[in-house]
Amino acid sequence: MTYLRLIFTLLLVAIGSLIIASLLGSTPLPAGRFISALIGSGEINDRIVIWEIRMPRAIAAFVVGAALGLSGAALQALLRNPLAEPGVLGVSAFSVLGATLVLFYGVAAISPILVPLAAIAGAFIATGILLVAAIRTSSVVTLILIGVGLSSFAGALMALLLNLAPNPFALSDLITWTLGSVANKSMSDLTFVLPFIIIGTGVIYAVRRELSALTLGEETTFGLGVDLKHTRLATVLGTGLLTGAAVSIAGAIGFVGIVAPHIVRPMVQFRAEQTLLPSALLGGIMLVIADIGVRLIPSSTELRLGVVAALIGAPIFVWIAIKRRAGNG
Amino acid sequence: MVDITFNNFSLEVGSSTLLSNINLTLGGNEFVALIGPNGAGKSTLIRSALTLHHPTSGTVTINGVDASMMSPIERARAISYLPQSSPLAWPVKVADVVTLGRFAYGASLASLEGDNKCAVEKALKACGLTAFANREIETLSGGEQARVHFARALVADTPCLFADEPIAGLDPYHQFKILKLIKDYVTTGGSALVVLHDIALASRFADRIIWMKDGMVTADGSPNETVTPERLEMVYSVSALVDASGEYPKVTMQNPL
Repeated sequence: MTYLRLIFTLLLVAIGSLIIASLLGSTPLPAGRFISALIGSGEINDRIVIWEIRMPRAIAAFVVGAALGLSGAALQALLRNPLAEPGVLGVSAFSVLGATLVLFYGVAAISPILVPLAAIAGAFIATGILLVAAIRTSSVVTLILIGVGLSSFAGALMALLLNLAPNPFALSDLITWTLGSVANKSMSDLTFVLPFIIIGTGVIYAVRRELSALTLGEETTFGLGVDLKHTRLATVLGTGLLTGAAVSIAGAIGFVGIVAPHIVRPMVQFRAEQTLLPSALLGGIMLVIADIGVRLIPSSTELRLGVVAALIGAPIFVWIAIKRRAGNG
Repeated sequence: MVDITFNNFSLEVGSSTLLSNINLTLGGNEFVALIGPNGAGKSTLIRSALTLHHPTSGTVTINGVDASMMSPIERARAISYLPQSSPLAWPVKVADVVTLGRFAYGASLASLEGDNKCAVEKALKACGLTAFANREIETLSGGEQARVHFARALVADTPCLFADEPIAGLDPYHQFKILKLIKDYVTTGGSALVVLHDIALASRFADRIIWMKDGMVTADGSPNETVTPERLEMVYSVSALVDASGEYPKVTMQNPL
């Protein structure tokens, strides 16, 4: 499959999954009413169900999945490691920590933009620590362990926050943030973080050739004329913006960033620069479908999107880790 | 042609001196072999010219400009670097590895066209890799993989090529193949600096040999001038016979001292 055909196919599937997500739900809509509401005519109630409840939620799932898929693909190219991903490396956990910090202490009341900003700042801190570690060690295992350490540390700080938090309802907020959900999202929640996502995507796209060059190892890449510092900085900045934005919409959702690039890579001959866009599209599609599952699985309280993503993603992560040959560190 | 000059270049890390007061001019149209025992500072010297190491004192200049002042792209267009190993992160295709060698000329894996496309085809052909272009590099033998990495260095079309042990671990046939490719590169006007461990091959292929020991350049000249039993004894601590009657000196190693 050529690259353009892959993109085209993924775009069609993405649009299809968004339409299916807005068709399915607790209020059944016959096809005729659904189509007329979708194109903006029909009954006002139908239009509200589709355009103000289901579609924003589906688009939120898509945007979050796309941001995480792109972050995963970029981090994996930079660190030359298929197991790198914001969730596994503790970036999402730090991002959640940043967001909850401003929420629990009421700082968020000053301006709602502080939540995504704090989420992005948290992501920057974790990505920065990982980067320093990645420059010092070439061992994949060490890097993953540092990620585990960062996640645990963020978890401990969250527990501390809970103990000290003035707000008694903090626990349920915390669960929403750490398990991840796109329920009750409106279009305005999305437009709010869109600039961060656009800038993050642009910054990563600016170093896409550099990310491809890193296939040959850092020393050879340096010899090719790649500015390694600049490449690292841009990737950290881009993934920090994207992960922070994703977390501020939906909380921590893991493993999308591993699974999507892993599926895409063989389809694009393992070319790092061509892994980026398809991983974003596939990540988006995966979360839209997972969220359809969340809404349709009958249960007394709604399942969390992050739980479903982890139920599917974590086994795949283990499988990729086992399949990697011992020689690859 | 490019002029690479080390001026009183010294490099110290902690209490150890890796390079000591190096004065060298490189970049002429010649095959230069850089030889010396393990730990002599050969790789460090090459890496220093590329600014992967920064001097404790002294300078290295490329065409009169301090190397550390050059942009990475400018430097990459002057010197092509073939390190000891290029561990691949992903099982990419042969043609893609070679294409990445054109990074400094804006080549992209997504769309290879124009000059970059011609250069990649030329390098693949020169290295006998045209038939392997669409193979995954890991399906190739060690000798073929070495040729792919060499093609990656060659494709940049730079006036200067630095190769760090390009024939290590290869069988004699593939050693000759790579050295012949470097010789061809020099014949077409290039300047090659090649780290070698095989003194017999260095004597045969090189126009000039730079001898290093303990971070210092101990001799610098043509094989006929510099390959002597005394020097082999001094630099490598081995006794050797040198037959200087032919076109190039023939070395037979005997015993460690």
